[in-house]
Amino acid sequence: MLRSNLTRTILSLAVVAVVVAALFVVQHRSGGSSITEARLERSLPTTFSHLYLQQADLLGRTGLTMKSLDARADCDKGGPTVANSGPGADWICLMTWNDPDVPLPDGSGKFELNVHSNDCYTAGGPSKLVGLVTIVDRRGREVPNPVFEFDGCFDPNGDDTPTGVTIVPPPVTAPTSADAR
Amino acid sequence: MTTQSTPTHADAAPVVGHITAGRPGVLGVFAWEVTKLAARARARWTLLVCLAAPVVLVVVLKGQQRPPKDSLFGRYIHESGWALPLLILGFAAQWVLPLLTALVAGDIFANEDQHGTWKTVLTRSASRAQLFWAKTLTAMAFALVVLVVLAASTMLSSVLIVGHQELVGLSGQLVPSATAARLVLASWATAAPPLLAFTALAILLSVRSRSPAVGIAAPVVIGMVMQLVGSLGGIEALRPLLLTTPFEAWHGLLVEHRFYGPLVSGAITSAVWCIVALTLAFTSLHRRDITEG
Repeated sequence: MLRSNLTRTILSLAVVAVVVAALFVVQHRSGGSSITEARLERSLPTTFSHLYLQQADLLGRTGLTMKSLDARADCDKGGPTVANSGPGADWICLMTWNDPDVPLPDGSGKFELNVHSNDCYTAGGPSKLVGLVTIVDRRGREVPNPVFEFDGCFDPNGDDTPTGVTIVPPPVTAPTSADAR
Repeated sequence: MTTQSTPTHADAAPVVGHITAGRPGVLGVFAWEVTKLAARARARWTLLVCLAAPVVLVVVLKGQQRPPKDSLFGRYIHESGWALPLLILGFAAQWVLPLLTALVAGDIFANEDQHGTWKTVLTRSASRAQLFWAKTLTAMAFALVVLVVLAASTMLSSVLIVGHQELVGLSGQLVPSATAARLVLASWATAAPPLLAFTALAILLSVRSRSPAVGIAAPVVIGMVMQLVGSLGGIEALRPLLLTTPFEAWHGLLVEHRFYGPLVSGAITSAVWCIVALTLAFTSLHRRDITEG
């Protein structure tokens, strides 16, 4: 019994040591997250475009394609002081796309993302541009709006080179604290 | 034909002689363990629940006015019958699958302690190693049967109750029904490696604690702690080491350009956990002084 207790103690100590060591390694490794700005900027426009086309289909609109939409995103996490990597509900992506019938008055649309540590995210679109939670389809039925809120996942080992997309945010939404510097 | 069958018979002869000499072999002990398990009410009830619970769950979810949008595919449960099995898979991986396998794996060694039957089973002239592997095989086989029954019941009831419409994937792309069927099946299959690793963990805890309660509850608790650790930001480098991460590797199958990296690393993680847990369990059982009781 004593022997069994001893081995158990040693075993649990070893486990704790391994965990602490691992935590230590992680703390001293910079940017270890698979969630990055570049991966989100590649994933979000694709997911959005697919769903936007489904919305167009529901509304009975034609003539839009993935290529003609040409959606692009510029993502940022938690403002200028926070590094743009890692999970969190504070990711903001500004997105542009070409729909002749829906112009973007601000030049872009603001999407709020909750990015989870498992490389999946939930994105909410601006209802002024993408519509409300439900839409009325071409047959007059009330159906869920595919782009109001949607999920997506990306490859944690996918292309991580910067996309080079820069979208200037509309001046009206600039908060007063931005001038605090 | 007759010339071929004679040497086969001759080859088999030593094995037969082996058995009559009193050594049943791992497969012989395995057959016994399966018989013992099949006679247990708990095993039967578990399989029955795996068969019936998904049907109830699908009916209840279908009746929901507001779909459970917090989980992946939750928002599409009314649109496609292929979304439900994926929602349920994501939910099952959180604690249901570890619990289902631990119900047998966490008990299969410890119940010999509980009933004080170690000496009895060892006098069946099966060696400790044979008993260990037979019990391990039984627990692993049960885990796989549970997974198959649960997956089949979930998929069938979803398709019959909701339908087999096309599915919106994790890149927003539309997946045709036939492809979705294959992907859902494959997704459920990817739960097998971590499930077997949880089985090995339950076996280790069962052997070491000698208590069925610990053997069944501890793997579930460990799974939930891993789930929590895996969801935290800042320590994501630990994620590949956790046994709950491989349960999410199927996400890569549902995007437009499929990726398999997490599946590969998940299989490696599961194998390492499995080997370490079984090695520790085996040495622990091997060194034990059973005459002491």
